[in-house]
Amino acid sequence: MNIMNLISALPGAVAQGLVWGIMAIGVYITFRILDIADLTVDGTLCTGGAVCIMLMQSGQNVWVSMALALIAGMLAGMATGLLHTFMGIPAILAGILTQLGLYSVNLKIMGKANQAINVDKFDLLVSLRFIKGVPFYKNTILLVTLMIVFLIVFLYWFFGTELGCSLRATGCNDKMARAQGINTDFNRVLGLMISNGLVALAGALLSQYQGFADINMGRGAIVIGLAAVIIGEAIFGKVFRNFGFRLLGVAFGSIIYYFVLQIVIWLGIDTDLLKLLSAVVVAVFLAIPTWKSRYFSKPAHKEGV
Amino acid sequence: MKKMLAIAMAMTMGLGLVACGGGNDASSSSASEPATEDSAQTEEGDAAEGSESDAAQGEAPEETPSAGAEYTVGICQLVQHDALDAATQGFKDALTEELGEAVAFDEQNAQNDSNTCSTIINGFVSSGVDLILANATPALQAAQAGTNEIPILGTSVTEYGVALGIDDFNGTVGGNISGTSDLAPLEEQAAMLQELFPDAKNVGLVYCTAEANSQYQVDTVQTALEGLGYTCTQYGFSDSNDLSSVVTTAADNNDVLYVPTDNTAASNTPIIDNVCRAKKVPVIAGEENICAGCGVATLSISYYDLGVGTGKMAAKILTGEANISEMPIEYAPQFTKKYNATICEDLGITIPDDYVAIGE
Repeated sequence: MNIMNLISALPGAVAQGLVWGIMAIGVYITFRILDIADLTVDGTLCTGGAVCIMLMQSGQNVWVSMALALIAGMLAGMATGLLHTFMGIPAILAGILTQLGLYSVNLKIMGKANQAINVDKFDLLVSLRFIKGVPFYKNTILLVTLMIVFLIVFLYWFFGTELGCSLRATGCNDKMARAQGINTDFNRVLGLMISNGLVALAGALLSQYQGFADINMGRGAIVIGLAAVIIGEAIFGKVFRNFGFRLLGVAFGSIIYYFVLQIVIWLGIDTDLLKLLSAVVVAVFLAIPTWKSRYFSKPAHKEGV
Repeated sequence: MKKMLAIAMAMTMGLGLVACGGGNDASSSSASEPATEDSAQTEEGDAAEGSESDAAQGEAPEETPSAGAEYTVGICQLVQHDALDAATQGFKDALTEELGEAVAFDEQNAQNDSNTCSTIINGFVSSGVDLILANATPALQAAQAGTNEIPILGTSVTEYGVALGIDDFNGTVGGNISGTSDLAPLEEQAAMLQELFPDAKNVGLVYCTAEANSQYQVDTVQTALEGLGYTCTQYGFSDSNDLSSVVTTAADNNDVLYVPTDNTAASNTPIIDNVCRAKKVPVIAGEENICAGCGVATLSISYYDLGVGTGKMAAKILTGEANISEMPIEYAPQFTKKYNATICEDLGITIPDDYVAIGE
């Protein structure tokens, strides 16, 4: 039980948190902007990892592999979107259906349940090994941070365009948006595509980071994504009002989630309790805004009666 | 204007994060700790980084979780499971017997979540354990991605070449990885099936599609059985929810079923048993725990013995007797023919004398 062990473990936790941060930004787009809890991501994360690993194994460049993983994720998002809009299936159910179907798709992509990628033999972009003792331009933390900053800048720009604004309007008030002549169905599909594309990108990074893609790797991903969104909002919600900063807050939320996990492991708490602790962390952060408004807010003043 | 400000702030914060997180131990400790503690911290950080067993032995005994222990061994196990638990127990028993009090264990379980394996391995690598035991395939893969310095021993891994993505695998992984394989004697299992059920024609192979090892075993057994003149069909299920319908179909269409060493099947043997015993279809199992739950007979390895074998390898590595890069993958020393007395009696199957009843 040495505090040094914890401190030297933190860069790894930051790297893992950052990778999941991309995924959390994807979840934020559906959960907060479109107001849909999209369960497709449990499957898309693995799809991204599977596509990336298989392409790299067949000798493709890492960037090409990741770009194709992103496109594969967008296709999965489109499937959910069409199930939801074109076929009129409730959003949660549509997500569950796609997620279920993706299990078979992922298995077919990989050919078997688990595909390894050897860090010594392939030119990986990120890896658990590239955290300490590598030149700084190869450092996983730097690379993923740059990627997140780029994504946030891009999303900030995109949601400021006419298309992005109409997408936000769709999530805010569906009927009003339609009354303004916005094609809400198209926007929903688009939002789900962007979100799942980001999640697949995170999956591609994650499978490189941990050195393998596994059919089970996305299981429970939505919980981690939501936890990151909620932790980010609970802690940075007051400070970060701007949309771009909110996305940054979500990425920080994901890092904090992995900090907590690393501390739990460092403390030597029985790992059997890990899932319960995750649930407690999410529940507490979900409760904070409610408690704040219920017990700590000042009584409202009635003005000018 | 506001946009530019936002972008600039985001960049600064991102870079700040890298500055805190990246680099080496010394810089991160000096950034986050008072200056007076600096030198001590740096020294400890260096010891943690130089993770060879002899370095940690001499310089940083206070690094280990339990005071007085010379070596720390990190154990990363994928999931609670009879077989994996037995392997971990065997490893600990063997290593404690060889080295006594000098070994401290840091045992972590990833709860079947492969992402948690990475988190656990990250903890081990940064605390500078002397050896990592990776129990099951994803744990080994995460450990390999995590370090190329700390010796890694795998156990309950079936195929090292497949798990680590090595094309021309010759029995020795090299580098910092070795271990023991739980590869069951698949061809002998097929021969056993023929010995017990020479009149059967169709054999159904039931396995979980989420487990890479199961696919490999089923393919090998299928080749062996087809060589013996059986007609084989594979029945893959994805989880415990569709297991019962898959097994029902398999039992309806076949005379005998075969279940490989499959973690999901092992956790759900009652389902298989309820379907198969009612339909009077015998099941040949890939390992003892599955056989105890739903099979009539198995040719099994002992995971405890496998763990003991791994523990002995670990002792040699820690004491410096052997170099891990030269150690070949070891296999289970002996196989035992076992049968499940209750189910055999129910189905009216007579078992030859050289089989041992499970539980005796």
